[in-house]
Amino acid sequence: MTWRSAVVASTILSVGLAATASHAADKVTLTFANWADAEGATRPGIQAVIAAFEKENPDIKIKSEAISFSEIARQLVLRVRSGNPPDVAEIAGNDTMLLAQTGKLEPLDGHIDAATKAALKPSSIEGLSDKGKLIAFPWTQAPAGLWYDKAVMQKAGLDPENPPKTIDELMKDLAAIKKSQPDVIPLGLDTTNRAFSLISNWPWMKAFGADPFAENGATSDAMKSYLSWMRDLAKKGYIDPGRKIGEFRPLIAQDKVAFLWDQVLLQGVIQSTNKMTDDDFNKHYGVTTQPVGASGKSYSFEGGHQLVMFSDSKQQEAAWKFIKYLATSPYAIEHYTLSYEASLTPLEKAPTDALAKKLDTPVFNAFSEKIMPTVTAVPYGPKFAPGATAIMAGVQQAVTGDTPIDQIAASIQQNLGN
Amino acid sequence: MKAAPARKNPERVPWIDWMVLPTVGVLAVVIGYPVIYTLVLSTTKYNMLDMVPPRYIGGGNYEHLISDPIFWTSLRNTVVYTFGSVIVSSLLGLALALLTESLTGWRFRSVRALLLTPWAVPFVVVAFLFRYMYLQNGGVINAVLLDVGLIDKPVLWLNDSALALPAIMAANIWAMMPFFFLLLSAALAAIPNEVIESARIDKAGTWSMVFHIKLPFLKSALFISSLLMIISNFNDFAKIWAMTQGGPGYSTTTLVIYVYRLAFENFDFGYASAIGVVWLVLLLVFALVYLRAIRMNP
Repeated sequence: MTWRSAVVASTILSVGLAATASHAADKVTLTFANWADAEGATRPGIQAVIAAFEKENPDIKIKSEAISFSEIARQLVLRVRSGNPPDVAEIAGNDTMLLAQTGKLEPLDGHIDAATKAALKPSSIEGLSDKGKLIAFPWTQAPAGLWYDKAVMQKAGLDPENPPKTIDELMKDLAAIKKSQPDVIPLGLDTTNRAFSLISNWPWMKAFGADPFAENGATSDAMKSYLSWMRDLAKKGYIDPGRKIGEFRPLIAQDKVAFLWDQVLLQGVIQSTNKMTDDDFNKHYGVTTQPVGASGKSYSFEGGHQLVMFSDSKQQEAAWKFIKYLATSPYAIEHYTLSYEASLTPLEKAPTDALAKKLDTPVFNAFSEKIMPTVTAVPYGPKFAPGATAIMAGVQQAVTGDTPIDQIAASIQQNLGN
Repeated sequence: MKAAPARKNPERVPWIDWMVLPTVGVLAVVIGYPVIYTLVLSTTKYNMLDMVPPRYIGGGNYEHLISDPIFWTSLRNTVVYTFGSVIVSSLLGLALALLTESLTGWRFRSVRALLLTPWAVPFVVVAFLFRYMYLQNGGVINAVLLDVGLIDKPVLWLNDSALALPAIMAANIWAMMPFFFLLLSAALAAIPNEVIESARIDKAGTWSMVFHIKLPFLKSALFISSLLMIISNFNDFAKIWAMTQGGPGYSTTTLVIYVYRLAFENFDFGYASAIGVVWLVLLLVFALVYLRAIRMNP
């Protein structure tokens, strides 16, 4: 090699290295804490969506940090406290408001454009504001409805196309199911002691007009009626206390649960368990609004997931682009929200005709048209988590023991301290 | 053989004393700092979500603790769970060690391997195993009891306030019993043959042999292993959390479960630290007794 060719080669190498370094410096890396990547059922979906986003945005790299659902709030709070939060995180339920309390969530009002805001269902951002500022963006919507197994109902001599509309009708149906099929759990309700259980049971408390967080709410007649009803359900063997909601899902797929109070995602779980086609599923299962109780209204809760951005993020523009892509892009809606979460999108209207067609199913229609309007706000905030422990402990006492209801209500009241 | 005499007036080499400094330093960081910080936090109002520094409130958390019924329930449950599990599993371990003592060769090895199996199962697996066995619908325990006609409807093992704690204790005893079996078997094997032989020559019966010869020899092994297990069970989180999360109601809430909920669900680190201090003091008492026992029975 002559000295001239050596000089040319080294110049090319230097220019190449400089270009690579400059390109790397331009590339933004976003950290994304989420449980979608931690769960086997949703991991392929979220990874595909992240890959698609990176392909569309070659200047942004997503570093996904998989954290389990039950751990994410704790880890995020600790990371916020230690000054090391991710750029974007997936969050849900009361955890969103807990994080907001740290004051480290970036208000999204300055990022969201008018067109995106207009495209959202107004209800999808209700309850996502703190001190008047939008602190979380709705990713998926997953309200709860009363699922029913038509085959079980038919065996019990009930009309499978006529699910119960009132709590009295529900009790009669449960009795018929218990009598005809003793090995079937008539009603699947989550009565474990965790914040999610209170969220899940909140619409049932509301059905009786109860609000345990209100002043003397735990000792109100409405709350006592709710607790007495829960005890009645347990004493008659209509519920199976202690099971988490996820433990009922494979059972209803095997016709072992008649009614299940669960979110829209149940269809995906049932079909992945029993491999039913959509047609067979719709012939076999249905979903409707909560039976009306003493309050005269049906209620539901919104259990969807949200996306938050942290105010310490140095790449807020890229972070917002990613949040918007996950929640509103046709690719993410089709390949994650519908395919893996089996949930509703927060958009008022499907962004493409193909998606509109995919959303036109009996289950999605029932949730969008009948159940979503019954969603009631759950009183999230700093008092919710300790309150949930106190209230669900009381519910468990009512369901599993013989302590007088008045005494249980007083004990909840004392532990709530309101 | 004559034991070597203890050194009288050993020559002091001061620089050797300084050699312990690195160890003391590591202990100060790893154990001392968290303990002292917990003591400090226990005198403050400190919620991690508030993003404000801890505020000194003196003995406020301790006053709250005295009037907190959940704390007292948790303490009672901890004591019942710990002592109940240790007493029953040590008695079972002792009985099994005595029963299998006469087995030799492959029979002893097979029985010992079988009896030690639960000890090899991770605690979380034990918890889930029993949780599914206890299920009201589909649990094997209820199925068997119904089949043999001992019960006419499924028992809510983990969902009855009165049964939940004993049910978890049964799982704990199952998992812990091999530890006692192993230790006591070893202690039995260490009893000098001459003692056993002379007792036989004196025509000691089986019960007399157990109560007057073997048990005195096993006393220190039993005492030390029980103390170790008391300390271990005082901190047992995995089994209870996986089986009941402290429910139904507060019927299986122990101190460790309560502290976990306060610290990591409510982020109330001030009050959680106060309970942690009480818990630490109780454990220190057991640890001191243990150290004293070790010193007396080297």
